[in-house]
Amino acid sequence: MTIKKACVVGAGVMGSGIAAQIANAGVPVLLLDIVPKDAADSSVIAKASIDKLLKADPAPLMSKSAAKLIAPGNIEDDLEQLADIDWIVEAIIERVDLKQDLYRKLEGKRKKGSIVSSNTSTIPLAQLIVGLPDSFAQDFCITHFFNPPRYMRLLEVVGGSKTRPEAIQQITEFGDIMLGKTIVHAKDTPGFVANRIGVYWMQAAVTAALDLGLTVEEADAIMGRPIGAPKTGIFGLLDLVGLDLMPHVDLSMAASLKADDPYVKLRRDWPLLTKMIAEGYTGRKGKGGFYRLNTDGGGRVKESIDLKTGAYATSREARLDSADAAKGGLKVLVSHQDRGGQYAWSVLSRLLTYAASLVPEIADNIVEVDQAMKTGFNFKRGPFEMIDQMGAAWFVERLRSEKIDVPAFLDSAAKAGGFYKVEGGKLNYLGTDGAYHPVERADGVLLLSDIKLISKPILKNISASLWDIGDGVACLEFHSKMNALDSDSLGLMKQALDHVGKKMKALVIHNEAENFSVGANVGLALFAANVGLWPMIDDLIGQGQAVMKAMKYAPFPVVAAPSGMALGGGCETVLHASAVQAHAETYIGLVEVGVGVIPGWGGCKEMLIRAQPGPKDPKGPMPPVAVAFETISLAKVAKSAAEAKELKFLRTSDGITMNRDRLLADAKARALKMLADGYQPPKPAELRLPGPTGKTGLNLVVHGFALQGKALAHDVTVSDALAEVLSGGKADHTEIMTEDQVMKLERAAFMKLVKTEPTLARMEHMLTTGKPLRN
Amino acid sequence: MPTYTAPLDDMRFVLFELLGADKLAELPGFGDATQDVVEAVLEEAGKFAANELQPINHSGDEEGCHYENGTVTTPKGFKEAYAKFIEGGWTGLPCDPEFGGQGLPKVVNFAVEEMICSANLSFGMYPGLSNGAYNALALHGTSEQKATYLPKLVAGTWSGTMCLTEPHCGTDLGLIKTRAEPDADGSYKITGTKIFISAGEHDLTDNIVHLVLARLPDAPAGIRGISLFVCPKFIPNTSGEAGPRNAVRCGSIEHKMGIKASATCVMNFDGATAWLVGQPNKGMSAMFTMMNAARLAVGMQGLGIAEAAYQGAVMYAKDRLQMRALSGAKFPDKPADPIIVHPDVRRMLLTMRALTEGCRAVSYWVGMELDISRHHPDEKRRQEADDLVALLTPVVKAFLTDHGFHAANLGVQVFGGHGYIREWGMEQLVRDARITQIYEGTNGIQGLDLVGRKLSLGMGRLLRRFFHPVGAYLEAAAEKPEMVEFALPSMKAFAKLQQATAWLAQAGLKNPEEAGAAATDYLRLFALVALAYMWCRMAEIALRKQAGEKAPFYEAKLVCARFFMTRLLPETNTLFATLTSGSQTLMALPAEAF
Repeated sequence: MTIKKACVVGAGVMGSGIAAQIANAGVPVLLLDIVPKDAADSSVIAKASIDKLLKADPAPLMSKSAAKLIAPGNIEDDLEQLADIDWIVEAIIERVDLKQDLYRKLEGKRKKGSIVSSNTSTIPLAQLIVGLPDSFAQDFCITHFFNPPRYMRLLEVVGGSKTRPEAIQQITEFGDIMLGKTIVHAKDTPGFVANRIGVYWMQAAVTAALDLGLTVEEADAIMGRPIGAPKTGIFGLLDLVGLDLMPHVDLSMAASLKADDPYVKLRRDWPLLTKMIAEGYTGRKGKGGFYRLNTDGGGRVKESIDLKTGAYATSREARLDSADAAKGGLKVLVSHQDRGGQYAWSVLSRLLTYAASLVPEIADNIVEVDQAMKTGFNFKRGPFEMIDQMGAAWFVERLRSEKIDVPAFLDSAAKAGGFYKVEGGKLNYLGTDGAYHPVERADGVLLLSDIKLISKPILKNISASLWDIGDGVACLEFHSKMNALDSDSLGLMKQALDHVGKKMKALVIHNEAENFSVGANVGLALFAANVGLWPMIDDLIGQGQAVMKAMKYAPFPVVAAPSGMALGGGCETVLHASAVQAHAETYIGLVEVGVGVIPGWGGCKEMLIRAQPGPKDPKGPMPPVAVAFETISLAKVAKSAAEAKELKFLRTSDGITMNRDRLLADAKARALKMLADGYQPPKPAELRLPGPTGKTGLNLVVHGFALQGKALAHDVTVSDALAEVLSGGKADHTEIMTEDQVMKLERAAFMKLVKTEPTLARMEHMLTTGKPLRN
Repeated sequence: MPTYTAPLDDMRFVLFELLGADKLAELPGFGDATQDVVEAVLEEAGKFAANELQPINHSGDEEGCHYENGTVTTPKGFKEAYAKFIEGGWTGLPCDPEFGGQGLPKVVNFAVEEMICSANLSFGMYPGLSNGAYNALALHGTSEQKATYLPKLVAGTWSGTMCLTEPHCGTDLGLIKTRAEPDADGSYKITGTKIFISAGEHDLTDNIVHLVLARLPDAPAGIRGISLFVCPKFIPNTSGEAGPRNAVRCGSIEHKMGIKASATCVMNFDGATAWLVGQPNKGMSAMFTMMNAARLAVGMQGLGIAEAAYQGAVMYAKDRLQMRALSGAKFPDKPADPIIVHPDVRRMLLTMRALTEGCRAVSYWVGMELDISRHHPDEKRRQEADDLVALLTPVVKAFLTDHGFHAANLGVQVFGGHGYIREWGMEQLVRDARITQIYEGTNGIQGLDLVGRKLSLGMGRLLRRFFHPVGAYLEAAAEKPEMVEFALPSMKAFAKLQQATAWLAQAGLKNPEEAGAAATDYLRLFALVALAYMWCRMAEIALRKQAGEKAPFYEAKLVCARFFMTRLLPETNTLFATLTSGSQTLMALPAEAF
């Protein structure tokens, strides 16, 4: 049975977020909550929460239209609808009695063989099914999402002894393929996997900071990026998630773990936290937390709390040599003599031995544990990968030298030479049986990182590489800093096209970095502009145009498979591909105006082509120009692949993959399908553009915005240059304009703008602050 | 004994014809700085330099400073000259009228400093250091500190110092050990030893105001833990006059190669009372405002020496009769021709002159921009000017002082054996010039400042202030047939500089040692291109003014411009080749193999 329709009970933040993600997958979902007393509309809670979904930032919904797939209701009137629901997710308050009441209510109404799961994070499955019939227990499991459900990739799935294996299988597949989640199969133990280890980490990080007398800045400077955790560190993280969450989690963990569990021994009362919560210092959602912004007297002073006295004072940046030294790896960090190094060792020595002692108690193998920490707490490396980075033998030796107990599993890893090993081009992990086993990827998962283990690139330079991903398909990978595109990236793209044309069948453009590409390397362009090396910039535009054109008209399919940001030149790469298979979390846009230029690698031209009227659209040369002008001049960025279709950055025929790990395989399959269907490159577009009258029209609109103060002086200049390109320069709509002619206009407009002072000021501001300059 | 005549014609030409300094009077606060006033000031300064300072230059060098029991006596005539100097109001020339200064533009003061340094570099040290102290206190001092010290510094009755260097730390000020202990009354007690303190002790003024870098008790290690203090020799009393003697004493003076009439002191602070200037631990940034001004001032010292050396050499080359011209006697009535007939002597004289005049144009340009950066009503224009000054400060400091030393050496060479003996004063110029390449950041450090800091600031924004106007100017100039001979070689050198900059940006990103290896050559390449730009602009003016009474002046400009383009600018090719050759050959030899 596939899941065609779902229901979420409990329309709080988690419940509605889960419903949104189900809707994002294109699956209809019923969202239910209780009927409040004296409510005029008995479904008011669910309805209000759908309204909230539409307004929330970051958006839980990938498109406004997805909201239409969420049907609001209530548990009094709408249980009859459960008859055709395949999966019911319970996401109500964490109380066993209320949950069980609900389960009993559902039991009579739900479809036979449907699955019921709870999103509990603290209650064991065994306890939830006490007193419930076997018919319920066999269809029941725990699906533990992380907040916010759209963006956090982890989904922990916990089955009980009575749960049908097919139910787990079904949820796993749906969660993986449809919801795009990384599934970790956890055992029915307190906190499951991620919270069990993550909460311990947080406790250890706080406790050690207090014991070693670190400032909050110092602690965060170590507990963030240097150990591979998010940059908020520990106290910044507590401010973010809310200080009041800590006591809840702590109490539930302490109550459910055995008395001899290291967590129970580690945890202690923390009067400062209690006092802060009582005074409303609950973090960013409250008056502030360990950090606060003091706006007294109109200023904006970042302050931090003194962990000893509880007094706030101006935040002082931490200066720890160890934090800088951490670039050399974890071993260098924990071996560093300063307070930061001692702190890192204190926390990691406890955390990693704890993690090693928990397998197989919380999960069958270390791979699940590492995945859970990476996708649930956004760690760069899981605990076992961290141990391997230091060297398991070295780690064990140091533990012994400090008389710290070494778990047997960790000891066996030290003797075997680590938790992971690459053998025969495959990644293997150490099992609790003492033997290495291959890390299995699900069907339909193809990772470039795996391919790199077994092969060498076909082509490579400093900014990009070309890999053979089998079946005659090559993969072009960008790997410059932030995947900014430069002459080297373009050069390798050209070489890749030549190579595939001669020796292979199809090309996929994909990488596993956080962002597909943030666009052309503005730093390089700015530097060249600053010293007046105009030909260097002009050449780069020419090179980009030539490569994009070669890609569009290659005699074989080129499939772009972006994930994360695909901006500027990254977007233009996507626009010129024969087809796109995009990760659902792809953020595409032509943002060039933000740095005072316009798309110069054919982006203007492609947007014009895409905006050409369909059979039902109004005719005439102006509408498509207006559409492209609006998209580019406002630097619109699609917040998802679904939205990218609405904005025409993607075609309706382009594919969307929910799970990133499946993106490359899907893109490859798409390329092979195109080949099988007899791929023919597109015919060059013939455009009819309005010319000077069209430009005048666009400028009039901008002039209106300028009068209202919505467009600033340089916006007007940039818009004028854009209008010149999109309207076709001196074009006459009775004549046909070629793609090359439009690109020539793009190039001239780009060069004109890059020579202006306000454009260079925008570039400089963007590069130094990361934010656009309004001038 | 060389004589000195202030090069007023060239100064006027650079200020008013080339740079349009008459426009300065339009800026707020500069209403009095009209062309008439400025010309009169320069004329007076020229007289003072020639009549009062130059005559005691040689004697001052011969006699040197005297140290006895903690006191320093300057050479004969210095005290009297200094009294006249402050009587003339020269110490307050560029200072704020609020504190008794004359509020004239910095660029005017640049010209005055040049003249002082041509005439007597040692003498110039005393008011020069005071001006540095004035700048630091004016920008970072409390209103009380300003009221106490600035009027005295402006009047010149008190002088100033910069106490940075310690026995174990020069370039790396992060190593400073001098301590400052807070006192109950808000003052501090300074303890430590400072060395190489110019004007640390002398007999010219009633009081000496030391600006001292020291460390507070809880200061972080390194450069971020240094604070700036003001520590007067005599603590001002309630009426604002020099009061009780402070616990800062001169332990000895250095015996050195040159600037012997400038007292270079070891200063011992023994719990001396001092007050914090600016924020705790932010002493370096306060000191840098002082240091940037001081670096430009040192550049002017180089220019002054070069001018003096040139004037001495020209006088001698016209006077000294030896041999006949290669093409036959030019002065058959004399026993021999003057040596100025010889191509190689001319090579030396023209090298001195073309570089000196080019340096004057570039440095006064920077001076003008410095004034614009402080006084222009448009914030954007101020920022642009500030960028250009920041970019060119290391170039001015290093290139002008390198040129000063080189010109002084050429001066000795023109004199032959007479240059080598003390009597003529030419060897003094070599010795005096030598320190300018060292202090206020060695010229090697200036190169690092340029490539390491100035190039990367604002993603290369500073570069734009130079490359854009220069590039645009040269492109336009190349369109004019009469300018081609100047614009074309300049454009070639400019293109080399562009390429070198791009090379440096890429190579330096990958390996910082590449930037370090290229720094000195790159700075020199930069300077030569800046000079080429100025020479083009000077030639363009001269081309328009070849008639009239001053025609010979403009003719000479054109000749010098051609000499620069054909015989000096080609050095840019060598520099480009060496700097882009990379660091390999510098770093290959292991330290123990040296």
